[in-house]
Amino acid sequence: MVNLFKRLRKLQTILQTKVGTGAAIFPSVASATKEFPAVTRLHLTYARKIDNGHMGARHFWRNCLPRLKYHNPGVGMTVKQTDDQAGPAALTIYFAAEQAGKAAIALANERKVTDSLAPAPEASEQSVVLDLRNYTHKQIWDRVQLMTDAKAVNPTGEDVAMQQKLDAITKRSGPDRERVKSIRQAKADQERMLAMARGEVEKV
Amino acid sequence: MSSYGVLPTAARGILSSCRAPLRDASMAPTLSTFQQVRGLKVKTKGKGKNAQPGKKSRGPSEYVQKNLKDMPQWALCDAMRFIRATEVGREPTLQKYELHVRLRTKRDGPVIRNMLRFPHAVQTESRICVICPPNSKAAKEALAAGAVLVGEDEVFEAVKAGKIEFDRCLAHPDSVPALNKAALGRILGPRGLMPSAKTGTVVEDVASRVEMLRGGTVYRERDAVIRLPIGQLGFSPEQLRDNLRVTLGQIRKDASGLADRVNKEIYEVVLSSTNGPGFSLNGEFSSEDSPDTSLMRGV
Repeated sequence: MVNLFKRLRKLQTILQTKVGTGAAIFPSVASATKEFPAVTRLHLTYARKIDNGHMGARHFWRNCLPRLKYHNPGVGMTVKQTDDQAGPAALTIYFAAEQAGKAAIALANERKVTDSLAPAPEASEQSVVLDLRNYTHKQIWDRVQLMTDAKAVNPTGEDVAMQQKLDAITKRSGPDRERVKSIRQAKADQERMLAMARGEVEKV
Repeated sequence: MSSYGVLPTAARGILSSCRAPLRDASMAPTLSTFQQVRGLKVKTKGKGKNAQPGKKSRGPSEYVQKNLKDMPQWALCDAMRFIRATEVGREPTLQKYELHVRLRTKRDGPVIRNMLRFPHAVQTESRICVICPPNSKAAKEALAAGAVLVGEDEVFEAVKAGKIEFDRCLAHPDSVPALNKAALGRILGPRGLMPSAKTGTVVEDVASRVEMLRGGTVYRERDAVIRLPIGQLGFSPEQLRDNLRVTLGQIRKDASGLADRVNKEIYEVVLSSTNGPGFSLNGEFSSEDSPDTSLMRGV
């Protein structure tokens, strides 16, 4: 089984999914308003490579979706990765309402896109599609927040302390790496020297 | 835990006094602690040799168990919430929850090795090959039970040609001589597919074993850990709990079956997933902050 230290260190990093870009709670059925209805599902489509501005979409999946999923366990999130770089990079947001909010429709209409791979909304749902091309994941997240009125989750004191600890470890790792490299180099040098000396003796 | 049962009492005293700092050492991952521990170990070896000239020290007879006091432990629902977050956007039928059961056991001796059937099937599709005389009664029954490949020579030829289109392989005792003659051990062995009586894959009643394998899984203990998939990512917490209960119950039963020869206990239960981190479970189903279980199913 994996070493306990390694497991713990990796876990601590992953547990930071609780805070950061995308750590926010969507309006639920109880807290929904007419302007910002409850979010039921998300669907993301993007292409495998970064050509044609697909990078931000993939980073959104990597960075923001785990945090969103953690804080909204009931919201279904599907991702479709395609090989078609000319195809859409789009996020479809499904609202539990007859009509999506004005802000959502306005932002979605800025750049129109159709995503044939996204599942069709059910009878009680309304969906809007956001074009993600050439946006960074932070820009995408800002737009999603405007469209859904997701409430950001503030990190607790513990989270902040843990983040500082992890940052300190990351900072220390550079000098440590240099130090270990020099030790290994010194050892290798000495071994090579010894091997050469032995070789000379054999020649004689 | 008496890990030095083989040594005389005097040596045991010396050893335990040397090993004490190792046991209670802080879990903080600093390099200096490691170096200190290493130095101590070397010392211990030398003293052990002095006490028993001629006998080689083979290290501890039990697997070293790390102190879990600094390892945070989670309730099942909380662990699932994190795993579902890290696995977001992946195919829910392909991604699996995995269980790692760490045992407290001796380094040698018999190991746990068995198969079990889950209340909620994990494998969506498991292709099973049965080696038995074609057109026999066993062959017909195996086909009816859902085996995809049944026969003798045709199977051997397909395997020799590199076409292994199955995940499990069973054999009927009547076909074992033919199987040995075909010398497939080199091909099937490394893949863990070679039928043998020891693993329970050479059986008279092929059909019932096929049925069991389709809904269940085989597991074995390696280096004091049993690893097995216990659920699809789309499972609800209740489904996962049922599978978890059955698995742990069966492992306890296996351990008590070996109780006359070796003592094994469950030390740590870790829930993980195909791409996710491992979460040590504390045995609770849910905690105060865990979300409603109806929310944690599907994608």
